[in-house]
Amino acid sequence: MTQTLPNLLNDYLPLGIFIAVSGVIGLALLIAPFAVAFKSPDPEKLSAYECGFNAFDDARMKFDVRFYLVAILFIIFDLEVAFLFPWAVAYGDLGWAGFWSMMVFLGVLTIGFVYEWKKGALEWD
Amino acid sequence: MAIGLTHYLVVAAILFTLGVLGIFINRKNVIVIMMSIELILLAVNINLVAFSTHLNDITGQVFALLVLTVAAAEAAIGLAILVVYFRNRGTIAVDDINMMKG
Amino acid sequence: MNAPFVMPALGPILPELVLAVGALVLVLIGALRGEKSYGLVNGLAFVVLALAAAALVAQPAGKVLVFGDSFSVDGFARIMKAIALLGSAVALVLSVDYLRRENLTRFEYPILIVLATLGMMMMISANDLIALYLGLELQSLAAYVIAAIHRDNVRSSEAGLKYFVLGALSSGMLLYGSSLVYGFAGTVSFPGIAAALQGQSSLGVILGLVFVSAGLAFKISAVPFHMWTPDVYEGAPTPVAAFFAAAPKVAAMAMTVRIFIVAFPGIVGDWRQIVVFISIASMALGAFAAIGQRNIKRLMAYSSIGHVGFALVGLAAGTAQGVNGVIVYMAIYVVMTLGTFAIILGMRRGDTYVETIDDLAGLSRSQPFMAYAFGAILFSLTGIPPLAGFFAKFYVFAAAIEAKLFALAVIGVVTSVVSAYYYLRIVKIMFFDEPAQSFSPLTPALKTVIAVSTIAIALFWLAPAPLVSAANAAARSLF
Repeated sequence: MTQTLPNLLNDYLPLGIFIAVSGVIGLALLIAPFAVAFKSPDPEKLSAYECGFNAFDDARMKFDVRFYLVAILFIIFDLEVAFLFPWAVAYGDLGWAGFWSMMVFLGVLTIGFVYEWKKGALEWD
Repeated sequence: MAIGLTHYLVVAAILFTLGVLGIFINRKNVIVIMMSIELILLAVNINLVAFSTHLNDITGQVFALLVLTVAAAEAAIGLAILVVYFRNRGTIAVDDINMMKG
Repeated sequence: MNAPFVMPALGPILPELVLAVGALVLVLIGALRGEKSYGLVNGLAFVVLALAAAALVAQPAGKVLVFGDSFSVDGFARIMKAIALLGSAVALVLSVDYLRRENLTRFEYPILIVLATLGMMMMISANDLIALYLGLELQSLAAYVIAAIHRDNVRSSEAGLKYFVLGALSSGMLLYGSSLVYGFAGTVSFPGIAAALQGQSSLGVILGLVFVSAGLAFKISAVPFHMWTPDVYEGAPTPVAAFFAAAPKVAAMAMTVRIFIVAFPGIVGDWRQIVVFISIASMALGAFAAIGQRNIKRLMAYSSIGHVGFALVGLAAGTAQGVNGVIVYMAIYVVMTLGTFAIILGMRRGDTYVETIDDLAGLSRSQPFMAYAFGAILFSLTGIPPLAGFFAKFYVFAAAIEAKLFALAVIGVVTSVVSAYYYLRIVKIMFFDEPAQSFSPLTPALKTVIAVSTIAIALFWLAPAPLVSAANAAARSLF
């Protein structure tokens, strides 16, 4: 609690380096295309990509309902993984009982995954 | 002025009230109701974490983590039911949810 | 350095483990064998429920706390779990024929019932706020999906949506209350809260208690948080309504009793006002709002609101005798409700299910068995001696009078007289009105359920001792 200010800032040095590096990489990726990329647009390049949306379009449009399904499935598995963080932090104290408890939990998640896979929820069509 | 427990509790209380009002005043869209529900759970989590720090007791944070994950499952099921409802009625306006009365 | 994490004893939670593992195995079977596996999964779901019941019966008497005292296995938990398992299993029996006729034979249905039952058992045994919330949500989330199981039906999906929105709101209120109780009492464990409240009660805890009560009132569908009940019962498929009316109510009532009696014994004066208000309001609404109903499922929804009010009379007493009354009331209520819904499921002409009260006209001439059984159940719901419903009401009112809550007991008797009006109107329609088109014959499953529940209700006065003494012992395990 009696840290002097320079010491306190020292603790944040890794964070500062991280921000600096990410800034350099981000800027490099922004600037590099002007220098090295070919500029020859063709219809294929300008057509819809990734999610099937037009690259330049109104943002407030109706979504395909299948996006909801993907989002719903994602949110469950995404957040259940939140339990892994405290588990990983306390891993050294847990021993085998703690290890197998988490394996059982992951097993339950896997059964849910098998269910959604077999139901065809992961197919787009 | 130091930020103390009371401030967190007041923020949580305001969020909770906004969430409840959002459910009762909103007459337009069920999605907004779902957001209001998430707001209520958010208020609960702020409460839990604030109390946990104040009491120096880890239980509150464990509770918050469990609320977080259950809230995700709840939101997923809510959205799924909403999609089923939309397929049947073609609308999700709150005023149109009135097939049964009495 | 914390104490090393050791594996908790799993013996006391064997019934829950059976349900959990069973549900997972059923999901795998259903997923791997595809949509045609409803029959197999449904049959195995019965096996899972039966195994859980066997594990429950085999448990030694006495009180065990496991998982850091968050899960309490005591006499009260055992008897309520037995009632809940019975309710779920019978609701599953009632569903088979209906689902086949309505083309709803999805293997998810029995799995969701098993999962909801697991949630209920967790609610019943929960001994701290976290366990209570998790059990409640497991039960509720499964219930939301079951309500909307008829995906192509507007009313079913609307029922699911309404149930979800109001259920999520009530969970939010319960949680907000829990967070306040945790903060101001400093612990989530029920006995811990009771110890923290020894002698003084803080405003924060009272506020938390109010929010928790609001959430609980929703789950047992008590006034003023009852609005979802009629719509959900009417909209959801009939066997689903039968399920909702029986087992989850028992579990939610058990949870309510446990939290009030175990966690807040020090501030009985504060919560008794809330419970008395909820109880009177539910009894009154159940009696008056049901009068104008044409749809029998809606009528049963209002009737169930009223019955929850009667059961709460026992809780308001706040004594072991009162809890005894609640247990007896819920056991008898479940039997009467399942019998009633078996009859509602029997209201079928060919492949069409009808659900207005006028369809019952002249039933005594076309189907005397059904008419007399329903008559007995209705008299019992009214509380006319010597049927079981009378004893149910007798025990809760006796407890209320013992606790000097005379006004509550008097209001209870008055509303029960008012409710006689609409119950007996059905009897009049069945026996004295001109016959409507007759129903198709009852299926053997329905016939058995109706017969067993009617006999249980009619002959309860011969041997009330087993249930009452078991309930008595169970109630004392809470104090």
